[in-house]
Amino acid sequence: MTDGLVTSIDEAQVLTTTLSMPYTLTTGPAAGSFLFELGNHRILGSRCEVCSRTVVPPSDYCSRCGEAPDEFVQLPETGTVTALTRTDRGVLALIRLDGADADLLHRLDLAKGAVTVGTRVRAVWAATATQSVLDLDCFVLDEDDQPPGTAHPAGEVGLIAQVPHQLELEYQHSYGPHYGRLFDELASSRRILGSLCPTCRNVLVPPREFCDACFVRTGQHVDVSDHGVLQAFSVIHLEFVGQTRTPPYIYAEIVLDGSATRLIHTVAGFDVATAAERLSIGMPVRAVWKDPADCRGTLNDIDYFEPVPSPDQQ
Amino acid sequence: MVASAQTVLRDAWSRLQQVDLIGGVVSDVLRGSGLNIADVDVVIDCGSDVLDGRSISNCGFLGAMGAHHKEESRVEEDGLFGAVYATTKVACGSASVALVLAYSKPSESDVSAYYSTLTEPFYQRALGLDQVSTAGLMANQYLTRTDADEEALLRIAERAWSRAAGNPWIEQSPDLGPEDVARSALVADPLRSLQIARPRDGAVAVLLASEPVARRLSDRPVWVTGMGSAMDSHLLSERLPGQLEACQVAAHMAMSRAGLKDASDVDLVEVTASSSATEAMVVEALGLAAVGHGVDCYADGAQVDVNPSGGAVPADPIMATGLVRLHEASARLAGRIGEGQPTRALAHGAGGLGMQNHCVFTLEV
Ligand SMILES: [Zn+2]
Ligand SMILES: [Zn+2]
Repeated sequence: MTDGLVTSIDEAQVLTTTLSMPYTLTTGPAAGSFLFELGNHRILGSRCEVCSRTVVPPSDYCSRCGEAPDEFVQLPETGTVTALTRTDRGVLALIRLDGADADLLHRLDLAKGAVTVGTRVRAVWAATATQSVLDLDCFVLDEDDQPPGTAHPAGEVGLIAQVPHQLELEYQHSYGPHYGRLFDELASSRRILGSLCPTCRNVLVPPREFCDACFVRTGQHVDVSDHGVLQAFSVIHLEFVGQTRTPPYIYAEIVLDGSATRLIHTVAGFDVATAAERLSIGMPVRAVWKDPADCRGTLNDIDYFEPVPSPDQQ
Repeated sequence: MVASAQTVLRDAWSRLQQVDLIGGVVSDVLRGSGLNIADVDVVIDCGSDVLDGRSISNCGFLGAMGAHHKEESRVEEDGLFGAVYATTKVACGSASVALVLAYSKPSESDVSAYYSTLTEPFYQRALGLDQVSTAGLMANQYLTRTDADEEALLRIAERAWSRAAGNPWIEQSPDLGPEDVARSALVADPLRSLQIARPRDGAVAVLLASEPVARRLSDRPVWVTGMGSAMDSHLLSERLPGQLEACQVAAHMAMSRAGLKDASDVDLVEVTASSSATEAMVVEALGLAAVGHGVDCYADGAQVDVNPSGGAVPADPIMATGLVRLHEASARLAGRIGEGQPTRALAHGAGGLGMQNHCVFTLEV
C-alpha cells in the first residue's frame, strides 16, 4: 500500500523523467575532416576565395556567399584572444588563430598565466584523442610569444564520417490538479477518474480542465468503470527506444464504461500469438490491477486489461 | 490586435501543467473580447518541444488551445514569430480572427541543457556553450568593441529590475530588486546574475482580427503597421561582435513598411534581451542610440519609453518573451495598462542562442 497520496495538496510534487536520445550524427566533409585531423594535432579551416576568408573550424558552405569552400587549410596553433568569459564551468573564449579571418570558440586554461582580450595563446592537445573538438584540450597563455604563423594548404585529410551522440535531458513535470488527483485515486483507491463536460456530457479520461471539443471548463470529476470495450488493438513486435514493455505485446485502445475517450493500455493474460483469435473489436475487457503494494500512482497500476469471459466460460 | 492576455510570470507554476497554463490564458484572452472560440479561424501556438520534454507537444494541447478541428500550426520559435504567421493569415484574407499563444515552463527542465541543444554539435556543444556563457561572451565583445563600460550595463539592468518591480504580471521576489544588481554574483564576466535574462514560467495569448471585425469590436483597435524578421549566422564567431545586425534588418523591414523613419518615431518600445548587454545592442540596432550608447535610452526623460514592463532580463518566459512584449505594447496603446497616451509602439522578440533570430512589430492606434 502506498503512503497516502502520490501528489500532495500541501506540496507540489513532480514526475521526474529523463529523455535519453541516442543519435548517430553525420559530420559531412568539413566537420568530419576537422575532427579527424585534430587526432593528428592539426587544426583545419576552410578558405573561400570568393570572399577571401579563412574560417576555423571549417565549413561546408561559406557563411557569406554560400559557395563550397575551395580548400581545407591548416592553421597555426597560435592566435589572439578576441573575447572571453569566465563561468563556473570554466573559461570560454573566441580566439583568432593566426591566418584566420574568423574566430574559433574554445576553452581557455589560465594555469599558465592570466589571459585577456588581445593576449597571445597557443593550443594544448589532449593526452588521448576521442574524435571530439576536445582533442584540442584548450588554449593557454603563449609564453614564448613566437611571431604569428600563417595558414597553408592542408593537403590530404582524413574523415570521421559519423559520430555517436547522446542527449540526456532531465525533467520535473508538474502533475497539475487533474493528473495529480487521477494518480492519487489510482494508487490509493483503484479508482479511475474522468472529467464530465457540462456541454456535451462526455466523460473524458484522463481528466482535464477543458473539454477538447467544446472548449468549456469541465468542472467535475466523475468515476469511470475499470471495465470497458476494446476499440482497437495491434500486436507490437518492434523494439524501439523508450519502450516500457518487452515485445511482443498488445497495444490496445479501450473505451472505459462511462467514458467517451480511448485509453491506451495493453491487453494480456494469454498467449500473445493467439491475439487474432482471442480478441475482437467491441469485446468487453476489464482491468487487472497490480498488488496494492506495487501501485505507484500511474496508469501502470493497472497491470493489463483482459477479455471478460463470456457467461458460459465462467 | 483586438485582445491580449498573459499569466503572471513566475519562478514556477508548479501546480499546473503547460496545458493548464494554455487553457487559462486562452480563456482569459477571449473574455470580454466580444469573440468566442467559435469565431477563431486559426490557432498558432509557440513553445519548445525540448523545454516541454515531449515531441510535437502541441498535439497534447489542442483542446486547451480551443483548436479542435481548426486550422492549427506550431511555430517552434518565440511567440512573436507566431504573430507574424497569424497576422499574415488575417492580412491575406484566409482568416478573420487568429489566435496566437506562447507558453513556457522552464522550471520543469534544465535551461542550460535546453540551450545546449541549440548549439552546433561538433564544434560547440562539447565546449559547454550555453545561454549564460554566450551572454558573457557577447557582453565582453560589446564592452571591447564600443565605448560602453560595465557601469552602463549595470544601469540598464537596474532600470529593468526597477520597472519590473512595478509590473503586477511579474511575481515579485522580496529579496531581489534594482539595488541587488551590482552585488549579485558574477556568473559570466562581465555579467552578474541579475543582468542575465531570468527564466520564468508563463503563457501569453493575442487575438488578431481583420479590419471589419476589429472595427466592430473596438473604437480604438491597435493596428499592426509593420513586421520584419531576420536571422544571423548560427556561430557566434560569424556574427558582427558588439552589434545585432539581424535585429537591425528586422527593424528596418518593419519600420519601412510602417512608414517610420526610425524607432524614435514611436512612443514606446518593448524589447527582448538575453542580458543587459544585448538589451543595449537591441536598442542600438533599433536606431534609438548610437553603437555603445544604448544606456542613454534609459535616462529619465528619454524620448522613447523603453521596456516600461521591465523587459526580459527580470522575466524571460523562453519562447513567449517576444509575444509578451507585443501584449505589453498593444495593451498600453489600447489604454488597458499604463499611463499617458502612446499612439505608436514597437515590439521586439528574439530566438536562438545569443539572439540569433529577431522579429519586430510596429503598432499604432
Ligand atoms: Zn564566400
Ligand atoms: Zn464537451
